[in-house]
Amino acid sequence: MLTESVSATVKLFFREAIARAVSESMRRDDRIILLGQDAGRFGGAYKEFSGLYGEFGPDRVRDTPVAEAAMVGLGVGAAAAGLRPLVSITYMDFLMLGLDPLVNYAAKARFKTGGQITTPIVVKTTAGARGQGVAHSQCIEAWMMAVPGLKVVAPSTPADACGLLKSALTDSGPVLFVDHKRLFSTAGEVPLAESFVPIGEALVRRTGTHVTITAHSYMTRIALTAAEHLAEEGVSCEIIDLRSLAPMDVETIAQSAGRTGALLTLEEGQLTCGIGAEIAFRIRELVGPIRMARVGALRAPVSSNPVLEAACVPSADRVIGAIRRLLNN
Amino acid sequence: MDRLALLRRMMLIRSFESALAKRRDHGFQLLSSGAEGVAVGLCDALRNEDQLLCSGRSIAPSLARGLDPGAVMAELLGRIAGPNRGKAGRGHMAQPAAGFFGAHAVVGGNLAIAAGVALALQQRRSTAISVCVFGDGACGSGALHETLNIAALWKLPLLLVCDNNQIAIATPREQALAAARLSDLAAPFGIAAVTVDGTDVISVRDSATGLIANIRAGQGPGFLECISERFFSHSTATRETRSAAEMEVVWSRCPILRLTGQLRAEGVLASGAMEELQHDTDRQVLHAIAFAEASPFPNSAEALSHVD
Amino acid sequence: MIYLLAVPGPIEDVEEVRVLEWHGEPGRSFHPGELVVELETHKALVEVRAAQPGVLRRIICAAGDWQAVGKPLALLSDNPGEDLVNPDGMLPLLPVSFEIS
Repeated sequence: MLTESVSATVKLFFREAIARAVSESMRRDDRIILLGQDAGRFGGAYKEFSGLYGEFGPDRVRDTPVAEAAMVGLGVGAAAAGLRPLVSITYMDFLMLGLDPLVNYAAKARFKTGGQITTPIVVKTTAGARGQGVAHSQCIEAWMMAVPGLKVVAPSTPADACGLLKSALTDSGPVLFVDHKRLFSTAGEVPLAESFVPIGEALVRRTGTHVTITAHSYMTRIALTAAEHLAEEGVSCEIIDLRSLAPMDVETIAQSAGRTGALLTLEEGQLTCGIGAEIAFRIRELVGPIRMARVGALRAPVSSNPVLEAACVPSADRVIGAIRRLLNN
Repeated sequence: MDRLALLRRMMLIRSFESALAKRRDHGFQLLSSGAEGVAVGLCDALRNEDQLLCSGRSIAPSLARGLDPGAVMAELLGRIAGPNRGKAGRGHMAQPAAGFFGAHAVVGGNLAIAAGVALALQQRRSTAISVCVFGDGACGSGALHETLNIAALWKLPLLLVCDNNQIAIATPREQALAAARLSDLAAPFGIAAVTVDGTDVISVRDSATGLIANIRAGQGPGFLECISERFFSHSTATRETRSAAEMEVVWSRCPILRLTGQLRAEGVLASGAMEELQHDTDRQVLHAIAFAEASPFPNSAEALSHVD
Repeated sequence: MIYLLAVPGPIEDVEEVRVLEWHGEPGRSFHPGELVVELETHKALVEVRAAQPGVLRRIICAAGDWQAVGKPLALLSDNPGEDLVNPDGMLPLLPVSFEIS
């Protein structure tokens, strides 16, 4: 089980946590509009926008054609002109088509105009492998982390999805909100009261003493599964859910890794120039030489073939093996 | 504006660019000389509350929109008295408070942004419109077609103005674009589209005014193609590829000479008035340069300001 | 005889469901094919229909409650008056049909 800070909560499906964050935000701020393919009447690919069209109407919840460049571009332009658009790009692979306005305009607007223009846009997209093949499975968060001026968040639980999306929709932006196909079948407790999860704060999901594992999004669940198995062997894992990739809460990782003396980074994307590479170097700078290892996808496209997909992306077994090797060296 | 004021504004741009191009300290510039009629005619059809966006060829649009020439010169020369504190230069100059939402140097990159500005205006029930000037080079980009489609569907208050100077760096327009007229690109989307001679400032102004009236009436976007000329190479750092004979034809289509000729023929422009106008605009440019030169470069610490 | 109505399965990708609506109070008789309860998964509705006659006797998971696939939702019996002894003991599962939409 994922640990949540529990007070008064309600159990929600992941998609419901997103819908709740959007509807609470839209009620509070009439500058927020939603643009997306099938985001309106259909309610989103994962029903994550269910009910919004009915509540807020076609002016604020707009179905768009299949045109990612224009969708992100319109969102960025509208943000620059005073709205707070939430643009839904169904899969992260298609975000590549909309990167020009996000990277070349939104992430640079405040800088290049000397603060005259800000772009409070949130682009929400779904990453990860779940049987859909080479161009519908990718995790390119690390690319996005390399863009100055762009924030990147990636929750692993319904509560964080709700809280981070709400924070993103009040941020000066631009913010990229990344969820995951395999999170939509999950449910979890979400605070009853309106709550925000600050951008830039990691969360220790499980405390431990032998090794620190960093992960985000769906991989946090893989890490937790691996930690449960390793606990039976007497290996105590501390799991840090990054939640926010840019800015990254390096302090929390350093504090943990300094204590355990061993670090395993876990990500579903590529290892080359990956999140693990970034974390490892920054922890090396802050903590000094400790044992480190990284787990990520194989250097190969992710097939829709279930055997090949499972071989490519990290599993709990691969994490367990990597930690055994790390701690035995 | 009366026609003399239009002439004066076009001459200011020409004089400004001539003075700028003579300098060695401007990095490199994309000049609008030959296309002054497009920017000046268009801006005369706008209201203060409208927003103008443009490509990286931003000198004529910014000056035509009424930005202070000194501030524009400061921005181009990297000085902090520029509207963007010298951080943007020609490629990204902006002053939204003055109705100049700004340049964006990615070809075709400002089209969807402009549609987004139009969406924000529509959402606010504003009577203002968003206008985007772009070159013929942008007409091959997918962003244009995606933007036309959504703008038409949502009836956005957007005027797209193609400053068709008939050449993209060194590629003639007919080698790059299959459409007979670039305004034809808007036709499949049911968008009102007009092609005019961009060297005729009056006809640009009048065509823009007509399209804008429909846009303000809620009838959705408009598309104005202005066939203009590029008097110099693509940029001050690019070699000219057109022949001397071709350039003779290009230079013969000067928007300033065209209007001057009309005004002289009608007796509106007295003899000696031209010299006086030239003197005035040259002096204005000298003041602009002095203003810019008096302003310092940003402190290097500004490399990290306004990033997040 | 007393029967257990459990969350039917397997349903792809689904471990837990939420009870959306019961179609009847305890005491109601169901004919084969009649809709007994609607369940909600993360992306679909599941209509659970009785595959044999029975009387709904006790609702274990009310509307809004969560339950895992294979776990009990309610008790039914052949006849209205039968004693509901030891509901936690081994009870036969009520045969159901279910449709995901």
